[in-house]
Amino acid sequence: MQLVAAELVESREILPGQWLQAFHAPALTVGARAGQFVHIRPGDFSGLILRRPFSFNTVDRASGIITIHYRAVGRGTDWFTRLRPGDQVDMLGPLGQPFEVDPRSRHLLLVAGGLGMAGVRMLVDDALRAGREVTLLFGAASATEVYPSSLLPDEVEYIVATDDGSLGHAGYVTELVPTYEGWADQAFACGPAPMLAALARLAAGRNARLGVASLGRKPGRGSRRSGRAAATAEPGTAAARRKSFLQISMEQNMGCAVGACLGCVVMDTQGVPQRVCREGPVFASDELDWEAGW
Amino acid sequence: MTARRGPGVAGVSAVGKVDLSIELPRGLRLDNPILVASGTFGYGIEYRDVVDIQLLGAIFCKGTTLHPRVGNITPRVTETPAGMLNSIGLQNPGVDAVVRKYGPTWQGWHVPVIVNVAGESIEDYVEVASRLDSVPGVAGIELNISCPNVGKGGLQFAIDAEAAGAVTAAVRKVTDLPLLVKLSPNVADVRPIARAIEAAGADAITAINTLSGIAIGPGRRRPLLGNVYGGLSGPAIKPVALRIVYEVAQVVDIPIIAIGGVASLGDVLDFMAVGAIAVQVGTVLFADPTLPVRLVDELTDECRRLGLDSYLPLVGTALPRRSSALAAPSSKGVEYRP
Repeated sequence: MQLVAAELVESREILPGQWLQAFHAPALTVGARAGQFVHIRPGDFSGLILRRPFSFNTVDRASGIITIHYRAVGRGTDWFTRLRPGDQVDMLGPLGQPFEVDPRSRHLLLVAGGLGMAGVRMLVDDALRAGREVTLLFGAASATEVYPSSLLPDEVEYIVATDDGSLGHAGYVTELVPTYEGWADQAFACGPAPMLAALARLAAGRNARLGVASLGRKPGRGSRRSGRAAATAEPGTAAARRKSFLQISMEQNMGCAVGACLGCVVMDTQGVPQRVCREGPVFASDELDWEAGW
Repeated sequence: MTARRGPGVAGVSAVGKVDLSIELPRGLRLDNPILVASGTFGYGIEYRDVVDIQLLGAIFCKGTTLHPRVGNITPRVTETPAGMLNSIGLQNPGVDAVVRKYGPTWQGWHVPVIVNVAGESIEDYVEVASRLDSVPGVAGIELNISCPNVGKGGLQFAIDAEAAGAVTAAVRKVTDLPLLVKLSPNVADVRPIARAIEAAGADAITAINTLSGIAIGPGRRRPLLGNVYGGLSGPAIKPVALRIVYEVAQVVDIPIIAIGGVASLGDVLDFMAVGAIAVQVGTVLFADPTLPVRLVDELTDECRRLGLDSYLPLVGTALPRRSSALAAPSSKGVEYRP
C-alpha cells in the first residue's frame, strides 16, 4: 500500500455517463493485481470528504499507466470527470485482495454486469497473457450501455446480454452461464448484488449438475485433503479463493479502504462481518452469506 | 494539492527548541497533542504502510465492548456535505480478543494506545475497564458513553448527568489507568454532564462524539443507512465541536481533548484557543492519512514562528476571562439553540 501522486494522462467518455481515465502511477503498477483497487481523493475538502474506490481496470507496467472506469453518479464522480490531462490526484493503493487463478485452470469464465466490467477487466489481460482462454459474459440494460468490444483484446470471447434485447441475448447475463459452466475451470464475477447472488446460487449447485468436483479433482481421491484445506482456509486468504469455483468482487460504501473504519462489511457464512476493503473485495462465493441481506 | 505529501514531510523537525509534549493526569505523557480518533484508525496497524504511527501523540483504538459485536447492517457509511454519516454499530471482537491480538503489539510501541470502551450497562463498562487495567500496552481508557443504557430504557449515558457521572465513577473505582470520557453533542446543555464527569473522577474529557443524523436512500423510499440513524462527523461538525469545547472549558478544570472535523493547522489552533489541550483527527484521516503527522510539523513551525517553546500559551486564548467564568455558568447561549 502506497500513497502516490498520479497524473491524469487521458480521459474520455466511452459510453453515455461512463468514463475511462488513464493515470501515470508507475509505483502502483508494480504490485497491482487483478481484483485490487485504488482509493482516490477527490477535490480538496470542497465538501467532498471521502476518497472514492476504483478497481484497477487495466494496468500497464511498461508505461506505468493504470486506468479506471466509472459511471458519473454523484458529486464525487462528477469531480473526476472534470479532471484534465496533467492534473494530479492523490492515490492510495494497491488495496484489497486479488482474484486467484489456480495454476491448473485453462478456461476462465468472467461474468460482468454493467460497471462490473471494471472489476474483471484487468483479469482478462492477465489471463490471456498467461495463455489461458477467456470467455467474458457481459450484461447491461440495453445496447447503449454495452462495453465496446474495441476496448477488449481480440483473443477474448465476448458475449453480450441486454435486458431489453437490443443487443445479444435478450435477458439476464446469468442465463448464459449454464452454457459455459461445464467448459470453465473457474469463474470470476463483478456486478450488481442480485446478479452476484444468482451466480453464487449457480456455483453452489454446479458440482451436482455437472457431476464433477471442482478443479477436476476426482470425488473421493484428494477430497479429504481439499475438504480440510477448505475448512481451514480463513476468509480472505488466497487459498480460500483459489479453491473456489466462483470468485466475486464485492461492492460496499467505503470509508477508509484500509480496514480501519469497518464501514464496508459483508457477512460471511460463519456470521462474521468481513471487510470488503481488506478481506475483499474478491471473495470466494461460498465464503459469503448471500441470504444475510448485507 | 498533493505536493506536500510523501517522503520528507513525515518527520518531526529536530531543529529548534519547541517541545510539544504534554503530561496529562496519571502520568499519561504525550509527545505531542495531535491524536487520532477512535473508530478512524482501527487498532493502529491498518495505516502502518503510509503513516509513521510513532510520530502521533496517541492512538485511540476502535470502540471495544465486553462481548464481540457484529455491528449494524450495511450500508454503514455515506458521505454528506463536508462530512460523513456512520453507523458501524460498534463492531469489534470483544475486549479479550482485542487484548490478546493487539496488546503485545501495542506494548512494543512508543506511541500510547488508549482503548475506547463502550457498553450497554455500567457493569459492562466496569468489566471491560477492569480487564484492561493491568494490560501492558494499554495507556488509558476513553469511555464512549453515547451508548444506550439497556437497563434504563435505552437512555444514553451521555445525555444524562447522573448516568454519565455514575458510569464514570464506577469505572474510576476499578482502574488506575488515565480515564477519559467522551461527550455527546446530542444534548441540550452539555455543561452539567461535563461537571458530573469531572466530579466522578475522570482525568480528562474528550469532545465531541458524532452528531445524530440520517441520510435518504436512492429512490427516497427509506433512509439510506441500514441502521437508519448515523453519526455525523467531519469538517461539517467543527462549529458544534468548537462551541461545546468552549462551553465545557469554562466549567471544568480537567484537560479537554477536542474532536470534530480537524482538517488543518487552523482547526487545531481554533480548538486550542477555546481550551483544548490536544486534538483528535478523525474523519479527515480517511481522505488524508498523513495529515496528523504533518500537523505535528506545522504546529512545531507555528510555535517557532511565534517564538514559543511550547504550545501551551495558545490554549484558552479565546475563552472569557477566568474571573467571569467563576460565576455561575451563563445560560445566555441557551436561547440561541434550537
